[in-house]
Amino acid sequence: MNLIQRLKIWKELRRLEQRVREEPSPSTFVDLGQVFINLDMLERALQVADDGLLLFPDSAELQKLRTFARRGVDRGRIDELRTRLNKSATAKLYNELVQIYLESGDQGSLHATCEEWSVRFPSDPGPWLAMGQARLGNYYRDISAREGTEAVQCLERAIGLEPAATRARVLLAEMLYRIGATNRARTLLDAVPTGSDDGELQNLRRQVVEARSLGSDLESLLRNAEEQGLLPNAPPTAAVAAARSEDGIGSIRDALAAIAEMPGVRKATYIRGTRALVKGDIKDGKDPFLRTVRVVAKAGHRFSRRLDIGSFKRGMLQGPFGVICICCYGEVLAAVQCDASAQTERILAELQEVVASSLYAMGVTP
Amino acid sequence: MNPIQETLDELRRTAGVKACMLIMADGLVVAEALGARYREDVIAGLSSYLSMTTNKALHEGELESFDTFTLHAAHGKAVFCDIGESFLVVLLDQFADIEAGRREIQSAVQRLRRSSRLGS
Repeated sequence: MNLIQRLKIWKELRRLEQRVREEPSPSTFVDLGQVFINLDMLERALQVADDGLLLFPDSAELQKLRTFARRGVDRGRIDELRTRLNKSATAKLYNELVQIYLESGDQGSLHATCEEWSVRFPSDPGPWLAMGQARLGNYYRDISAREGTEAVQCLERAIGLEPAATRARVLLAEMLYRIGATNRARTLLDAVPTGSDDGELQNLRRQVVEARSLGSDLESLLRNAEEQGLLPNAPPTAAVAAARSEDGIGSIRDALAAIAEMPGVRKATYIRGTRALVKGDIKDGKDPFLRTVRVVAKAGHRFSRRLDIGSFKRGMLQGPFGVICICCYGEVLAAVQCDASAQTERILAELQEVVASSLYAMGVTP
Repeated sequence: MNPIQETLDELRRTAGVKACMLIMADGLVVAEALGARYREDVIAGLSSYLSMTTNKALHEGELESFDTFTLHAAHGKAVFCDIGESFLVVLLDQFADIEAGRREIQSAVQRLRRSSRLGS
């Protein structure tokens, strides 16, 4: 790159930095971050994404920018650690490397590195702890008995290699408590010296003492949790959210049924993520109307964001098919197909009410 | 000035209207009346994307193309009207009363349809 090109880029950078200060918006931050990425200044791009996310925490573009920059920064760090490991391998370097893989969720590389680490340092509990953490993350996400068993085996191996390993003991104790094996959890926690307790550990100790034991056969406890799709001692926040969401779904169903009864309304749907409630002339969740409204809402959202006019809230399509009304907030949307003669303003207001009440049930403030 | 440009300029003067543009389905700009803060290529590209994606989704759901698409976002509104071979795109501010401005938009649509028929 010659001097003139360099000067041009720095001038553009100064202009974008000024724009970010004067007119902060997700797109101005993304533009600036993009220039840093083009200049291979990934840490600066990451910083810009973090600054932007402080102001616009829900911006999907900024989150994408952050992920991209983070991946680039990690790649650089991984290459550096790999070079150092090839020269002289130490457990500390392996630990740094697997922490990067753990954070980025790259399970394949994590597994391969842990294997290499355990072959070179067979008495080090580190690789088993890292594998246990990864398996535990998968278990809490999917509640799959297989992942749970693997997590227990890895963490037990780490404790076997270093009986005083506090982290592995606490992680295993928490998991056992969550599935109902409270007696085993209590035994594990009793071996952890009390001097090292932080707030979370104290809380866990209290919960384990108060909880009722559901047995000690891990295999059947894990299988039961998988069958029910629920941990017997789930974290309180998740339990509250689930309860609120279950309470709300009945009223959403009733409200949707009331909309479907309105004059001229043919189809009505409420969609949250991959789930949908349908009323009116819709047989099931496979009706093409659902896909149509999902795609239109997504395109409307992208259009609005790129044009810097905020997020897409409502849409009305008119044509030979009648009218399609869509109301959405984030991943929640409610839509109706009705005749051209129907009271569309009233229908839109009712749809907005359905979306707002479902967000309240989920504990989100619109 | 040609009648298409005149129609757009007139529509642009309606209360709440920030920009208006006539584009082909593929995003080619026929005429525009934009404010200083808008970039022609950005609006044309995004409008083409939205109208094409919407019509494709409607066709996949065994429905016909839309005549009008009214979009409300947190900080603005947009109206897309089908004019046969092209689309009229109208951008409004978030406080604009679309119902009040619908008569002007419909009248512009009819004049643009007439103009494009005469041109063909």
